[in-house]
Amino acid sequence: MTVPVSADRIVGAGALLAAILAPFYLSSYWVGTLLTQMLFLGIVAASLIFLSAYGGMVSLAQVAVYGIAGFVLGNATTNGNTKGLNLGWSPWIGIVLGIVIAVAIGLLFGALASRSVGIYFLMITLTYSVIANLFFSQVTDLSGFGGISGIRAPNVIGNVEAHQNRLYYVALVTAFGVYLLLRYLVRTPFGLTLQGVRDDPVRMASLGYNVPLHRTVAFGFASLIAAIGGILFVWWNGHVDPASIDLGATIDVLVIAVLGGLYRLEGAWIGALLFVIVNNYSQRIGFIGDRFHTLIGAIFLAIVLVSPSGMIGLWERALSLFSGRRRGPLDRNPIEVGPAEPSV
Amino acid sequence: MAQAAALVVAEPILRLRGIGRRFGGLHAVRDVDLDVARGERRAILGPNGAGKTTLFNVISGDYPPTSGTIEFLGEDVTGLPPRTRAKLGMGRTYQKSRLFLGLSVEDNLYLAVLGVKSGHMRPVIVPARDRALRERARELTAAVGLEGREATLVGSLSHGEQRQLEVGMARAANPQLMMLDEPASGLSRGERVALTDLLLKLDPAITLILIEHDMDVALRVAQRVTMMHEGRVIVEGTPDEIRANQTVHDLYLGRGFQPDE
Ligand SMILES: Nc1ncnc2c1ncn2[C@@H]1O[C@H](COP(=O)(O)OP(=O)(O)O)[C@@H](O)[C@H]1O
Ligand SMILES: [Mg+2]
Repeated sequence: MTVPVSADRIVGAGALLAAILAPFYLSSYWVGTLLTQMLFLGIVAASLIFLSAYGGMVSLAQVAVYGIAGFVLGNATTNGNTKGLNLGWSPWIGIVLGIVIAVAIGLLFGALASRSVGIYFLMITLTYSVIANLFFSQVTDLSGFGGISGIRAPNVIGNVEAHQNRLYYVALVTAFGVYLLLRYLVRTPFGLTLQGVRDDPVRMASLGYNVPLHRTVAFGFASLIAAIGGILFVWWNGHVDPASIDLGATIDVLVIAVLGGLYRLEGAWIGALLFVIVNNYSQRIGFIGDRFHTLIGAIFLAIVLVSPSGMIGLWERALSLFSGRRRGPLDRNPIEVGPAEPSV
Repeated sequence: MAQAAALVVAEPILRLRGIGRRFGGLHAVRDVDLDVARGERRAILGPNGAGKTTLFNVISGDYPPTSGTIEFLGEDVTGLPPRTRAKLGMGRTYQKSRLFLGLSVEDNLYLAVLGVKSGHMRPVIVPARDRALRERARELTAAVGLEGREATLVGSLSHGEQRQLEVGMARAANPQLMMLDEPASGLSRGERVALTDLLLKLDPAITLILIEHDMDVALRVAQRVTMMHEGRVIVEGTPDEIRANQTVHDLYLGRGFQPDE
């Protein structure tokens, strides 16, 4: 990394401190609504950035997986008064079940897409997203259009509206844990192998690696991260319906990841913060639905035109101007969906 | 060919029979028989487009052949994927470097060492196990003349340094058969000499197949030479026989090849 580590560390520690102290200086609306949302959207975006930056896989299925975890949790834990199976199980069983099923489906999705790269991979994962959305719309035993309501967080978090800070801190600890885990993982044999697969799958195969299997396992792991985000989302929202994972939501997470910077994990939360703030203020001035998407689209274009590597890219460029360093090799175009190399 | 086969006394490490590879209507390699003995140094020569690289791709498993069989260490490997062949003891370089540009020199070699071992999926750093892999990676870094560049991102190495690393990647797993595809391409004269020395110093137990345009490098290193043209093997012999061969002169002097059987 060409950026001075110290500057990154200082800003990172400052941001973490600001986040820890947020409930003391921000309104409960900011903390309970905007920042909590930023945290779980950031987790889902981080699962996408992990796949993209370290595995060369730009996935549009992360929201689908996040939704699957949410729907499973909803079906498992609600009790009586809503759509779905209403199994009424403990929230802890719901968490485990939601994550396990989401990861299992993620592994299946990953296995089917593991021999595709570039734009073909993108299209296959887009299909997963559409399938998940249609599945929960059509299968009324599990959800249907109206979705599942009244989903409660475990007692330690309690009523999310009454104790907004509790869910906020749970989300903060989870997001930070996810960030540290991903940072660690990319230095392990699994993570280095994944980066080898990203840079040259043909070479990896001739060195003895099983490239499709490695891609599949990485996709399954990213599904675990997305599922964790999905659980937090459903607790925060109390409700999940097919619209939570429709095409718009899928694109939103891609926009968050690209806005933040598709090649560094920190970008996930930076993009998510920008996204929830724009979303919030555009609602106040009556920009909702399509008008919001027009606005975020315009901001997206502006940022990507100025800095193809998103806000993180702007930050790195500012730092390198400041320190007089050359731009590093990591400052490459982050969206490399072509050229497809179909061998392996 | 009968004469060539007689010279190979021991069971060959590599045996190709009737190997062909087409790309659509293009017959890149046709009807190649090849026996390479254990510990042999073999050079493959031939003009551009002769099918040398394609032959390597078929041997390493990157492309399946459209006809013929490949035996390696006495085992039929024709249907096996490249990763299995690597584990059996094949290592290769690529004519156009195939390196992990976003990783450091040491991490590139680390992956090359880990490839034939177990533990690709290990999601934790185990110092006791990683230290050995890292040590081997650093040893290789020095062996290919990149000492002190361990932490450099491969994308920012010079062309010559990337070619050196390319050879290191093929050696990392201690393969029994090493295939080098034009390792000297794009190197300066001095770098070529260093490369030739490195190849001459290679453990004699390793079998080496070398594709090389530079006759000086090829004929100094090789014990036997196979000459390809338009997908076929046209001559095989010792470096002296090759030097004296009229066909080889014609091809390399650009007069074209007229088969006169
Ligand atoms: N992947 C491929 N697809 C189509 N044609 C190919 C491919 N690889 C090689 N060829 C063709 O096969 C022929 C032999 O190429 P190659 O094996 O690279 O020759 P050499 O290494 O001897 O220069 C050339 O005409 C080349 O264009
Ligand atoms: Mg070639």
